[in-house]
Amino acid sequence: MIELLQVPSLLTVQDLGRTGYRKLGVPVSGVMDEVSARLANYIVGNPDNAPVLEFLLAGPTIRFNASAVFVIAGDVGVKLNGVPIEPWRSYWAKRGDVLEVGTLRSGLYGYIAFAGGIKCERLLGSCATYTRAGLGRPLKAGDRLTLGYVLLTGKEGRVLPRELRPDYLAKEKVIRVILGPNLDHFTEHGIETFLSETYTVTPESDRMGYRLDGPAIEHSEKGADIVTDAVPIGSIQVPANGKPIIMMADAQTTGGYAKIGVVARVEVPLVAQSRPGERLRFKAVSVEEAHELLRRREKMMTAIKAFLNGELRAYRIKTGGEELIAFAEVEKE
Amino acid sequence: MVEFKPAGDSALVISFGEVIDENVNRKVHAVARAIEEASPQWLIEVVPTYSTVYVYYDPFMVSYTEVAEAVKHFLSAEPDEEKSRIVEIPTVYGGEFGPDIEFVAQYNGLSVDDVIDIHSKPLYRVYMLGFTPGFAYLGGMDEKIATPRLEKPRLKVPAGSVGIAGKQTGIYPLESPGGWRLIGRTPLKLFDPRKDPPTLLQPGDYVKFVPISEEEFWELYRGGQDND
Repeated sequence: MIELLQVPSLLTVQDLGRTGYRKLGVPVSGVMDEVSARLANYIVGNPDNAPVLEFLLAGPTIRFNASAVFVIAGDVGVKLNGVPIEPWRSYWAKRGDVLEVGTLRSGLYGYIAFAGGIKCERLLGSCATYTRAGLGRPLKAGDRLTLGYVLLTGKEGRVLPRELRPDYLAKEKVIRVILGPNLDHFTEHGIETFLSETYTVTPESDRMGYRLDGPAIEHSEKGADIVTDAVPIGSIQVPANGKPIIMMADAQTTGGYAKIGVVARVEVPLVAQSRPGERLRFKAVSVEEAHELLRRREKMMTAIKAFLNGELRAYRIKTGGEELIAFAEVEKE
Repeated sequence: MVEFKPAGDSALVISFGEVIDENVNRKVHAVARAIEEASPQWLIEVVPTYSTVYVYYDPFMVSYTEVAEAVKHFLSAEPDEEKSRIVEIPTVYGGEFGPDIEFVAQYNGLSVDDVIDIHSKPLYRVYMLGFTPGFAYLGGMDEKIATPRLEKPRLKVPAGSVGIAGKQTGIYPLESPGGWRLIGRTPLKLFDPRKDPPTLLQPGDYVKFVPISEEEFWELYRGGQDND
């Protein structure tokens, strides 16, 4: 069991979300940054969907009431019993140890994964917190969480090399989107504006959606409102003021603003990790291109998982001044 | 007339035009149900709305073109002959449960009893669910009781509140802020994550508001809590 001593900002239990209930108005929820959360789970030897702690900007202080193996995913300073330790590396904590997670230097959401996952009440098939409907609640100081039972040996001391960690430091992020499905609500000029201008993430952004500021996107004579229909995660709605809103994990399942595009799934973590003030540009891609990008990412995720499990070896190679990681199979005896 | 469009890389939209129309919506539900029943391996879930069906698919299993090809076969699905479920919603009108009912009456030049009568007469069709878990978009309210939204939304509307906004009526499943004119409240739980399905209403259902007294409200309310 672990006990939360300090919780400086939004801290929730999340998994990869709740599917199958969207037609009843229940949002998917789940982690904002799928990649970081899954990598954290791989490092401690968990399956992809094991529940993790998600913190917004500043991490909690945690006391271990039993030994456990944990990892922090994020660009953040961490201390175990006052001694600095590294993120993206798994450690063994003993009973009584205190873990202090600092404030993210880049990115917006950080993750803490424990070997065996976090025990939680699965509601509608998921541990994802969606406060508004009483599906879990934000955690506060004094809360205790039970960890899943697991053989801890061998799960500690695993590290994700720097080259394989997500990098959310880009000055201007290019987000690939699939245009539509309500393109007829925009003028050609409006679509052109959307694809050529730069948009800034505003402070009015949360797990439900990221509001952007930038040149107004022009609607056609059909206007900004549509007959209410569904809202996939990543949908870019444009209300009458012409300023886009990107719908995120906790987004309502249906909505009445025209959607100019939907962020390719592979880019959703990049959007999620964009802080207020950061700038985004949009680039149109086809559905097929988006699928190809997704498949490539999953190949990489599979390789990283195998590497962390000791089934693949990783080599640093230098090509054209760039350092890359190459994987090779570990020979079996 | 029927159009297929991508909504990102994991959903396909079947659009029957942009309309709020009972026949179109019945077709939407028929097609959504047919896809759900066939339950192809790549299907994640289906979301029927007023005039579109969103088909969420697994892009690791299937291409967009394959999904488009597959859903064509379901377009011939016909709505059920009989009406679907009729769900009765016991409702206390007025008083602290419906603080705006007198305004609704005055605004439309009616008595409070007229408002109750007009509101509880029709069978309302559940066109779709969305907004918050269990929130039903109902069709069929009599325009005689149409009333504009509050100028300043309330910060807290209790769960179960029955309201009117323009020509629409609906029930708040959860406590939330809201700008609808509240005319009554039901003791029924519209969303309970510990039940399956978690929502009392399903898309395609019909709703009938049944006026009850305050005593009946508390009796039903306690009954509902005991069942937890």
